[in-house]
This record gives sequence, structure tokens and C-alpha cells, in this order.
Amino acid sequence: MKNLKLILILAAVMGLSACQSKVEYGDATEVETVNENFGSTDLQAIAAKMVDSMMAFPPVVVMTQSNRPIVFVDKIKNKTSEHIDTESVTDSISNKLLRSGKFRFIDMTKVDTVRKQLDYQNNAGMVDPSTAIKFGRQIGAQYMLYGNLSSIVKQDGSTKDVYYKMTMRLMDLETGLIEWSDEKEIRKMKSKSFLGL
Amino acid sequence: MLRTFCIGLILSLSLSGCAFNSVFVNYPSQIAPFKQQLNSETPAANITDLANNISGNDGLLYAQESGRIMQVAGDFTRSKTYYQQAIDAYQRFDDKAIVSASKLGAGASSLLLNDNAIPYRGPGYERIMLHQYQALNYLFSGDIQGALVEVRRSNELQSLEQARYQQSQKSVQDMANGVIDDQVERLGKEAGNVTSSFLNAYSYYTTGLLHELANEPNDAFIDYRKAAQITPDNVFLQQDLVRLAKQLSMPQYDEFKRRWGEATLPTAGQGQVIFIIEKGFVPEKQSITVPFPINGNIQSASLATYLPQHPLANNNQIQGLDAPLTAQAIANIDALAINALKEDLPAALFRQAARVYAKYQMNRSVQNSDQRANNQVDAAAMVMQIFNVITEQADRRSWLTLPRQAQIARQFIDAGSYNIHLNNSKNVKIDVTANRTTLIWAIETGNRTRFYSIII
Repeated sequence: MKNLKLILILAAVMGLSACQSKVEYGDATEVETVNENFGSTDLQAIAAKMVDSMMAFPPVVVMTQSNRPIVFVDKIKNKTSEHIDTESVTDSISNKLLRSGKFRFIDMTKVDTVRKQLDYQNNAGMVDPSTAIKFGRQIGAQYMLYGNLSSIVKQDGSTKDVYYKMTMRLMDLETGLIEWSDEKEIRKMKSKSFLGL
Repeated sequence: MLRTFCIGLILSLSLSGCAFNSVFVNYPSQIAPFKQQLNSETPAANITDLANNISGNDGLLYAQESGRIMQVAGDFTRSKTYYQQAIDAYQRFDDKAIVSASKLGAGASSLLLNDNAIPYRGPGYERIMLHQYQALNYLFSGDIQGALVEVRRSNELQSLEQARYQQSQKSVQDMANGVIDDQVERLGKEAGNVTSSFLNAYSYYTTGLLHELANEPNDAFIDYRKAAQITPDNVFLQQDLVRLAKQLSMPQYDEFKRRWGEATLPTAGQGQVIFIIEKGFVPEKQSITVPFPINGNIQSASLATYLPQHPLANNNQIQGLDAPLTAQAIANIDALAINALKEDLPAALFRQAARVYAKYQMNRSVQNSDQRANNQVDAAAMVMQIFNVITEQADRRSWLTLPRQAQIARQFIDAGSYNIHLNNSKNVKIDVTANRTTLIWAIETGNRTRFYSIII
């Protein structure tokens, strides 16, 4: 009997010492279901669908056949009840589009930095004028990419259902027409367990 | 029997965590020095003492208090992080299983100690006000989109908390239909008028205001209607409803115009100035303790209550604009707190009865009848009785740095610079720009008023 108690205590001590918190690398594209909030899998799913849809859309195919249109990305309006970094969604989408070789992009968030740099190159008197980049030589954008992310949350006791809808549009700046539009819907459901800690 | 009791106590304490804050020291006395500090030049001097308790059993409550103190002090960024910790704590409560071992452990501890051993999970209106204040934090940090996210979250929670409180069915139903009741308007204006503890017109007004500032008049209209169902007498709210009904061409425009007059719209070169004034602090809970003997053993029962409140001084004039502007009350938070206690009373009484029974059993188990028969001092029984009486403390926890009353005032005035003061506060300079809104948040704590303003 005494030996049994000793063995049990030993087993408990060994078990507890093995239960340390550990860090390990996971697969970035793996499905993540930690909780029902907006997550990495949702971001990847949205970016993939938007890009595939835009590249396969017939008018866009015609548009990109002979030249590469110049696009700038306006922000995605976050109409959900979570603080989501929508800029990372647009970054993923514009990255994929750029790397397809069919589009060229302008980054509107860097305009002030560039202006300061060009001002320094031209007016500070420290840069060789023959190597300085002159003002007024940048290429203008032809299209604007923007969108909305909205959600509907329904909660009832032990079930919570979150529905995300991401809508994106491509607008021709000259004519004002929307050349492409698509939406991606995601539903996440969470149910509370009956027994737990 | 004593051994079983000890094992049971240790087990329940370990399941529910040992960092009890208010089991022996009552909560209002813990917060008093921090409230006192708010009246000084350095309101957040001892905030780390308070924030250290966030990792304890009542972390949610201390996080709320810390966030509010930093907010009153004007440090909106730090207030945001504290409030975020409180939001995470509420989320953890939401995520607990329906039958949760830690909840059972806390319940068991409360049977042997007192209600303060149960982790604090505030009434519904505290959670809504948390998100409302977080929205104001985002707004005053310049992030109106973030403020709208918090507003939407607060609206979702309103419906969730609405389901938790079944009292006052009719007002809840009317509010859901957006009906502004003539009957409600005729009733008297005291705390008894607020029939449920989550019907907080201040939260509805603030969320409506943020929608209006972000150019979403339709959402603003919905929230203002809900606020008007609770506080129909506020002239500024009435004005807002008429103006929005006209702007949105709502079918209720004629009815509102008939009841409250024509909408005043700004003329050219005028800006809007909106005042949100918070006065005082919610009252602290007091405790009533009644000792009584059962079979020769002393027991005591202790319950929380609110003493009758003296009415707030009715001075709310803003001087320094073109004409003196009188603010009007939109919500009495003390009425909400009193209602929350009333709603909690049945459960508290049940727990109290169970606790008296459990402690009586403990008393009996250590009694030594031989010693009593010989007229000797029964030391173990005396110690147990003293333990039982001392641990019998009422649950006096609540969010104490909330304001007691919220008032609003709005006006369209000519653009320019004004030196305003509220009652006998210091002068504060505000700027009004044409076609834009200047939001001024005045927080009055004791003998000091702090003003925060932003132009949107």
C-alpha cells in the first residue's frame, strides 16, 4: 500500500514537471480556430478569393491584356464590432495582384515621406542636382481598389454565430465606373461546452 | 467532520484561486484613497497600487476602476489598455462552460467565507458603460473608426444583456419597438422611474452621438429614440430627434414636430458645441449585519444595501457662450446601481441562507459537549464562532468611480473662441469651427472639474 502511494506521488510529480508551457512553430496556412474572432485563416481566405476573382473576371482580363493598369488601394472600411487591421488585408491583396505581373500599384500612405525626401533632394542643397529626382514626374493612378468589411453577430446563451462579409470594388477613376466587384462570406460558429474548468 | 471541512475549504480555494481581494477588507475602503486622489493635481499618482490587483480574483473590477481613473486624469491611451483588460475579463466570463468547476469552487468558498469570494462580474449596465467609455477613449485619441467599433460592440451587448434581465417587460418591449410612450412621460421623475438596471439612457445617447459624429444619422436616430424612451423630458434629446427626423425624412417627423416644436438648424458660419457633463460618484453600498444565536452558537447575517441618497444640487449652467446654457440630466447612474442591487437580492438572500446553514454546521462540528457540560471554556467552538462572524461581510463591490449623474447640452453657435466655465469651475478656452462639432467632456469629481474637448 505504501509503495502504491509512493508510485502515485512519483507519477504525479513526473506528470506535472512534463507539463511546461512550450513554444513551437506552426504552419502559416493551417486553419486556426482559437476563438470566433477574425483570424489569419479568414484573412488568407479573403485575399485568395478576391485575387482569383479579379484575375478571372473577363473585363479585367481584357483590361490587362495589352498593358498593366495602375491601381491605388484606398482603405477597407471596418464596419464590424472587432478591432481588425484592415490594412493587412489590403496589403495581402495588393501583394498577390502585384506579383501576378498584371497590375502596377501606387502606395498612397507614403506620399508625405516621398514629398519630404524629394524636398530634401531638391532644396536642401546637399544632393547633387544632376542625381536629384525632380518633382512632378510620378505616374498617376488609373483605378482605385476599396472595400467594406461588415459582420453580423448573433448570440444566444451557449451559441455564438459570427458572419463576415467582405466586399471589394475596382473603380475606374476617369469614368467613375465600377469595373469589378466581388464579395467573400465567412461564417464562424462557437458553442460553449457544458462542463469545463 | 472538521477534517472534511478543511479538505473542502482547501479544494475550493485552490479551484477558485487564492488572490481574494475583498474577503476581509471591504471594497469601498480600498477604493477611497484613489477617489480622494482624483481631487488632487496628480489624479493618477497611486494608480500602480490599484492596477496590481488586476491579476487577482476581482481583476475585472480593478481594471474598470483603473481605466476610469486614467480616463479622468486625461491619459486616454493607458485608460484604453486597462479597459481592454476589463473587456478581456468579461470575455473570459462569457467563455466559461455552463457548468464550470471554477465557478462551483468559488460558490463553495462563498458558503464558508462570504460573497466576496465569488469573482466579480458586474451588472449589465457596467459592461455597456465600459464599452461606451472605451469608445470615448478611441474618439479622444483621434480614432473615430475605433470608436465606432466599440459602439457596435456595445449595441450587440445591449441585446445580450437585455436577455439576461427579464424585469420590466413592458418598457423593454416598447424600447425594442422604438415607441416613445406618452404614459411614460406622465410618470414622476425619481429613481423608481428606471425600472430595470440596464436601461441606461446615457449609453444610448453616447452611442447615438458617436454615430451622428461619424455621419451615420440613421443609426443615431435609432439610438436617440431608445434614449428618449427612458428619458423623454430632456429638451436636447427632443431637439436631436426632431432634427434627425427632418434630415432623414422619417415618418415620425410630424409627430415629433407637434410634440416638441420645429427643428433648429445651423445657419451659415455656425458650428455645433456639445457638452457631456458627469457629476459626482455612484453611491457606495453599505452593509447591514445582524448577529443572532442558534442553539447557543452566535451566527451573523450580512447584506449589502444603499442608504437613501440626498438629491444632487441642481446647478448645471455653462457660462461664457453667447447666452448661459443650462444642461439637463440624461441618466442617473445611482438609480441603475440601486436597481441592480434590487434585482440581485433574491440570489443574495438564498446564498446568505445557505451560508448561515453551512456555518452553523461547522459550529456544531467543533462543539465539545463535555466541556460545555462542565462549564469549561470551549475554545475550539469560540474560535469557530469568531471566524464565522468575522468572515461574514456583505458584498460591497461595485464600480465606484462611475459618475452619479450624466447631463448633456447642445447648441449651434457662431464660430470663434469662447472662455467657458461650468458652475464654479476654472475658465476653459474652447474653439468652435464653422460646420464642425466641438465635443466637450466635463468630468466633475468632488471639488474639481476637468474638461476634455475635441473638434470633429
